[in-house]
Amino acid sequence: MKRFFEKFVESALLISGSITSITILLIIIFLFKEASGLFTTPVIEEGYELALNKTNPVKHLTSYEIKEIFDGKISNWNEVGGKNEAIELVRLSDLTKYYTEAELGSNFENIPAKSSELTSKHPGIILFLPTSYIKKDFNGTLLKHETLHPGDFFGGKEWYPTASPSPQYGLLPLLLGTLWVSLGAILLSLPFGISVAVYLAEIASMRVRNILKPVIELLAGIPSVVYGFFGLVVIVPFLQKLFQLPVGETALAGSVVLGIMALPTIITVAEDAMRTVPRAMKEASLALGATHWQTIYKVIIPYSKSGITSAAVLGIGRAIGETMAVLMVTGNAAVIPHTLLEPVRTIPATIAAELGETAAGGGHYQALFMLGVILFVITMIISISIEFIGKKKYSN
Amino acid sequence: MTNTRNIETNTNLSSPLGARGSLDVRGLTIDAKNVDFYYSEFHALKNINFEVSKNEVVALIGPSGCGKSTFLRLLNRMNDLIPGTRMTGSVLIDGEDIYAPNIHVDELRKEVGMVFQKPNPFPKSIFENVAYGLRVNGIKDKTFIEERVIESIKSAALWDEVKDKLNKSAFALSGGQQQRLCIARALAISPKVVLMDEPASALDPISTAKIEDLIHELKKDYTIIIVTHNMQQASRVSDKTAYFYLGELIEFDKTTTIFTNPKEHSTQNYVTGRFG
Amino acid sequence: MKANNKSENNTNINSPSGVRGSESIDRSKRRSQAIAFTIFKLMSYSVVAILFVILGFIIIRGIGVISWDFLTKAPEEGMTKGGIFPAIVGTLCLVAGSSIFSFPIGIMSGIYMNEYAGGSKLATFIRIMTNNLSGVPSVVFGLFGMALFVNTMKFGDSILAGSLTLGLLSLPLVIRTTEESLKAIENSYREGSLALGATKLQTIRKVVLPMAFPNIITGLILSIGRVSGETAPILFTVAAYFLPKLPTSIFNQVMALPYHLYVISTSGTNVETSRGIAYGTALVLIVIVLMVNLLANGLRNYFSKKVKTN
Ligand SMILES: Nc1ncnc2c1ncn2[C@@H]1O[C@H](COP(=O)(O)OP(=O)(O)OP(=O)(O)O)[C@@H](O)[C@H]1O
Ligand SMILES: [Mg+2]
Repeated sequence: MKRFFEKFVESALLISGSITSITILLIIIFLFKEASGLFTTPVIEEGYELALNKTNPVKHLTSYEIKEIFDGKISNWNEVGGKNEAIELVRLSDLTKYYTEAELGSNFENIPAKSSELTSKHPGIILFLPTSYIKKDFNGTLLKHETLHPGDFFGGKEWYPTASPSPQYGLLPLLLGTLWVSLGAILLSLPFGISVAVYLAEIASMRVRNILKPVIELLAGIPSVVYGFFGLVVIVPFLQKLFQLPVGETALAGSVVLGIMALPTIITVAEDAMRTVPRAMKEASLALGATHWQTIYKVIIPYSKSGITSAAVLGIGRAIGETMAVLMVTGNAAVIPHTLLEPVRTIPATIAAELGETAAGGGHYQALFMLGVILFVITMIISISIEFIGKKKYSN
Repeated sequence: MTNTRNIETNTNLSSPLGARGSLDVRGLTIDAKNVDFYYSEFHALKNINFEVSKNEVVALIGPSGCGKSTFLRLLNRMNDLIPGTRMTGSVLIDGEDIYAPNIHVDELRKEVGMVFQKPNPFPKSIFENVAYGLRVNGIKDKTFIEERVIESIKSAALWDEVKDKLNKSAFALSGGQQQRLCIARALAISPKVVLMDEPASALDPISTAKIEDLIHELKKDYTIIIVTHNMQQASRVSDKTAYFYLGELIEFDKTTTIFTNPKEHSTQNYVTGRFG
Repeated sequence: MKANNKSENNTNINSPSGVRGSESIDRSKRRSQAIAFTIFKLMSYSVVAILFVILGFIIIRGIGVISWDFLTKAPEEGMTKGGIFPAIVGTLCLVAGSSIFSFPIGIMSGIYMNEYAGGSKLATFIRIMTNNLSGVPSVVFGLFGMALFVNTMKFGDSILAGSLTLGLLSLPLVIRTTEESLKAIENSYREGSLALGATKLQTIRKVVLPMAFPNIITGLILSIGRVSGETAPILFTVAAYFLPKLPTSIFNQVMALPYHLYVISTSGTNVETSRGIAYGTALVLIVIVLMVNLLANGLRNYFSKKVKTN
């Protein structure tokens, strides 16, 4: 009986122990499941058709080409592999330019016939119509319902999920935004973090340590929205004034806030690493007449460099995944950034800002989950590389 | 006094390490007066008076925990690193109070080298281990560093074993070789006193013998203080022996006297192995 | 004078050509140490300064907003007036809900890792997975919670979905502190108990857990602090923009302090007029963090003293 009970408890403990692994597995399954439809969603909004003149040799358009045509940036068919023919863009609402209201019918019952006629008459036309207005014997080519090409996602330079008729899901601006902000953050916080770690591990007296440690714990405990709020009301206006910017919400503001937020992680990990340097190693150096500082940079830092690397990598990981603070201070413009003084939008901020407005299962929803997958993959790579760095002890 | 010392040093300057003339007496005197030492509350050394003349080899013996290492580490102020420690009394090396406020510990430690109980090479190459002390003391001259490293490795009786792999990691050496490397490392900066804390305790008999030979050799140039648990070793290598017990220096005399005719009963018990 | 004497003696270890006197070397290496250490000190103190600026700023701006009404009334007039009571209640619900889930599982998992799995391959695997999970960004937890709890399990936006999401998020922290607290207990205690014929489970229950308890509690408190400030995971699983009604079941939506702060400081209709409320909300969050940290530190000190005097 007692035996049985012990066994029972042990298996209960085992099950609890496996829950983190199960969670990771579930995260993978669900993120991929929700994101998986992305590359099978049509590039044209659902329920709509794009129609061309029968003589037009163009048979398919990429999502980006469609967007450029509708933005007026592409105005000739030869730019997309067709004849030298001006593009004539016609939306449902534009039909009134070609036909009187009477011709279209009082209940628009003539739209199918008229749009068919219009398409057949204009060689350069591209007509954007709800599928319901396309009649059976439509006199024109309907563009095939292409699906989003992975290249358009991973290499896409525009993130514009509400664009009509073809939403743009280009990863690059978000990915670059994330990297810029995180890189800026780590460049700001690494020198600070390592200095503080050295100070704590080697120089500070017990008394100073007892002040600094709780301070760092508190910094780690402050919620990210509070950092975001502080950034919004203090750092953003400050940077705006300092650099005379039109808007203060910039990548730099994000980097500053993230830099502060990454400090506790960097400090703690780097300090722990320096504390693992054997005392014998330190004493050997001092006994040879090295000063304390020489001992620090010639023995302690080289010896703990794998730990310091972990600290930096972990800090980057924190910065890449941070959501709310960045969302509140970076201005959220989904354009590829050129300097740190421009608004940017990061991957997590995009998810947080947009998921609420999307319909479950739609292209936008799937695209946001794909962003989640990418974020997850990045952080997994980081976790695993830290595992790897940790194992690789000093060898030379 | 300053002047005479400078003349001595200058002789050395022109003939570094290798050509130590027999007339040149390099070691320093050590004189500890009324030394008490505390690890926070714990009274680890009690009123120690201890005097060593130049180029003597002194063995510190006594049961485990009696304070030998503590005392040894007082002589190059290694105990400064342990928080909460306190010392009273004075330690004079070459007539100078090493605990005086105007003393810089890094300079002191250049003159008072130390070899630890466990070999503790740096995770660097063999060459860099020995060169470390020279580099941190601001020497940049490559050929000088190279010469000095080779000389030091030779005087630590390690040369034949490592001459082909100076750029290999020091961790690739055996324990005994590592310990001799640590000795070479300590010698490279030409200290005048060498402190050794059970330098052979982690070693096999052959390595131990090599290190003992080495001590004999080094005696010409250095004042050596060595902690050991090995009575034979103490009697083989040292001129004088100090017996510590429970933080007190019970007896300090010529090694032959300590081992054949000690004044204190407790010393007698210890050296004959009836104790501890 | 004496110090000089010392340095001059050192000439002999320096370059034989005597190009450089050792005195200058000693001085320069000491100077670079002084400079380096000063920089480290300044850097460290500026980190302290950063904390005090953040805390000070929010406390000074927020303290005037805090009143009994602020803490006990619902928001009014498009959240530009009134209080934050529903958000406080919501956050409490989420903290309680996630703790009910993560504490028992996390502690059991920690016990399994330290007491049963030991250094086995399985334990290493689980440990790596736990570390990985703690590196997953909170917004990914939000996505996951939405996909699993809200959509697939059909809990809808609810306290239940939000608590489970937050619970998963805080699990690694609970597991790790439990494991570390258990690791800190010397094996001799376990052996002592086992030698008296106690089973492993009895030993854990009667000897190991009571000793590790203070440290485990500290970890739990810190995880409460973490959960109460998280925003991204609750965005799509529970948080309501404006919902003055208090929840009556675990399937209700609630407001929550961090989300409320986000909303009124960025996307509210009157960002400027509701600034005061934003400062007040930020201050409440800060106070929670401060209390959690004080409590955790206090407990740690109290118990470590107790252990010492015993
Ligand atoms: N860092 C320390 N903190 C507190 N007490 C210490 C510390 N180092 C040593 N002691 C205590 O001081 C006493 C003397 O220690 P010491 O290391 O000098 O002994 P020892 O004679 O070298 O012993 P052994 O032969 O074992 O090396 C011991 O009782 C020891 O417990
Ligand atoms: Mg000792």
